[in-house]
Amino acid sequence: MFKNLITESTAKSPWLFHINSGSCNGCDIELVAVLTPRYDAERFGFKLAGSPRHADIVVVSGPLTQQSLPRTLRAISQVPEPRCIVTIGSCPQSGNVFKGSYSVMAPLSKYVHVDVAVAGCTPKPEAIMDGLVQATEILKEKRKAWLEAKKNGLKDGPKAETEQEVPAAEDVPASGEEVQQ
Amino acid sequence: MAIVYSSLVYLGYILIFPGFLFCFVAGMLITGIDRKIVAKMQKRVGPPILQPMYDFFKLMGKETIIPAAANKTVFLAAPIVGLAAMVVIQLFIPVISTPILYGTADLIVILYLLLIPALAEIYGGSASGSPYAGVGLSREMVTIIACELPLVLIFLSVAKTVGNAMGTGLCFSLSDIAAYQAANGSLMLKASMIPAAIAMLLVIPGETGNHPFDAAEAETEICEGMLAEYSGAPLGIYKLTHAIKTFTLTALFVALFLGGIGTGIVLLDALIEFAICVVLTIIFISLVHAVTARLKIEQLFKYYWTAVSAIALISLVLAWFGM
Ligand code: SF4
Repeated sequence: MFKNLITESTAKSPWLFHINSGSCNGCDIELVAVLTPRYDAERFGFKLAGSPRHADIVVVSGPLTQQSLPRTLRAISQVPEPRCIVTIGSCPQSGNVFKGSYSVMAPLSKYVHVDVAVAGCTPKPEAIMDGLVQATEILKEKRKAWLEAKKNGLKDGPKAETEQEVPAAEDVPASGEEVQQ
Repeated sequence: MAIVYSSLVYLGYILIFPGFLFCFVAGMLITGIDRKIVAKMQKRVGPPILQPMYDFFKLMGKETIIPAAANKTVFLAAPIVGLAAMVVIQLFIPVISTPILYGTADLIVILYLLLIPALAEIYGGSASGSPYAGVGLSREMVTIIACELPLVLIFLSVAKTVGNAMGTGLCFSLSDIAAYQAANGSLMLKASMIPAAIAMLLVIPGETGNHPFDAAEAETEICEGMLAEYSGAPLGIYKLTHAIKTFTLTALFVALFLGGIGTGIVLLDALIEFAICVVLTIIFISLVHAVTARLKIEQLFKYYWTAVSAIALISLVLAWFGM
């Protein structure tokens, strides 16, 4: 009984954690617009969480600069399962106008599994909202898959793809200090 | 046999009514209504009324991460201790005028029990080893101290008024207070008690840590303070404790100042109590939330120790002179 209730609730109460990985601020403003009275994402239960530990959906904007990539990956790995990763804007998908710069590490999908990618520069709030609502459905699927895996004897559920791929960024310095040396 | 029966009855009190289940439903509904009303006041559609329930059940299904720097036992035990204390308070509060558990000094017990959830949060936060929790818990302590003084003054003035009438000096028993109100009409109707009632209504948002008095949990500033490292089920239990606290404090107000309006039928009384609590929450929590910005911690402290305490003191002085 409770299992179904929890699975249903997973899709109805997604909390967001927003990471700005060097965005030009255009996408951030549009994400804020989604939460304002005009678009009011709270009617679907969306809420901005202050800490990655409280989040269900990680929203990434920006072209992943060399400095921000390790931090982005670290923040994503702090989010408890089941979690979804949504990128907004063309930047995290391709690098957009910043492509080719020595410091731009996009796309994000090279390092972690991205569940929903909302394209556009900037995407309209409606498009972001649509992407987020799709992510809630994926959250529910992930919860079901996790239950299934638990039934089949995997104690901690399926290992998240992200956890295996986080160390892949070999050529990325682990912290800002190392770059300055 | 009698022991088995009476312990079953007590178990029913603790788990179902007026304990855990009743608190759970009432607290969740009140928080849901609060969020909806705030949204309406900001011209939004707002989340469904059942949103806090969805949040709670979702958190139950999430992974619980225990930080490497944390003390595991305290980190996990703190939320449960807080919730247990919160449920026990509810047993002492009469449902309008029908007390469930009673003794001679209920008000003092409640005063101590009200501290435990906040202290549990402080312990849990400090056990998590997060710097955000450090900032949050120091602010939470200031908030507790700030709210304690007006609360004590309010309790004293009620105890003195009822004690004068009963001829016992000070009366800290909620069942006696309920009996007094059933005989003489609600305390709210007494001129000398009106300042205390107003002070109590001003204390409620501070005690529950609602906006604008949520400096300890400012999620835009210090990542929800003590809860920064919590995830999954423990976080859900904290959210539940907060929800129940809102209901408990408004119910305490009803018991102290609006007693004696009940019908005598417990279930009907519980419904009336809940309805009054909702109205109080809308006016004194949601409205205040929607129209104010967060106060700094020193402003909060000053506000409670000057303005609110002064209002409560008026009542205490009047009660002391037998008015
Ligand atoms: S997609 Fe466009 S608006 Fe968004 S961060 Fe990139 S450049 Fe800025």
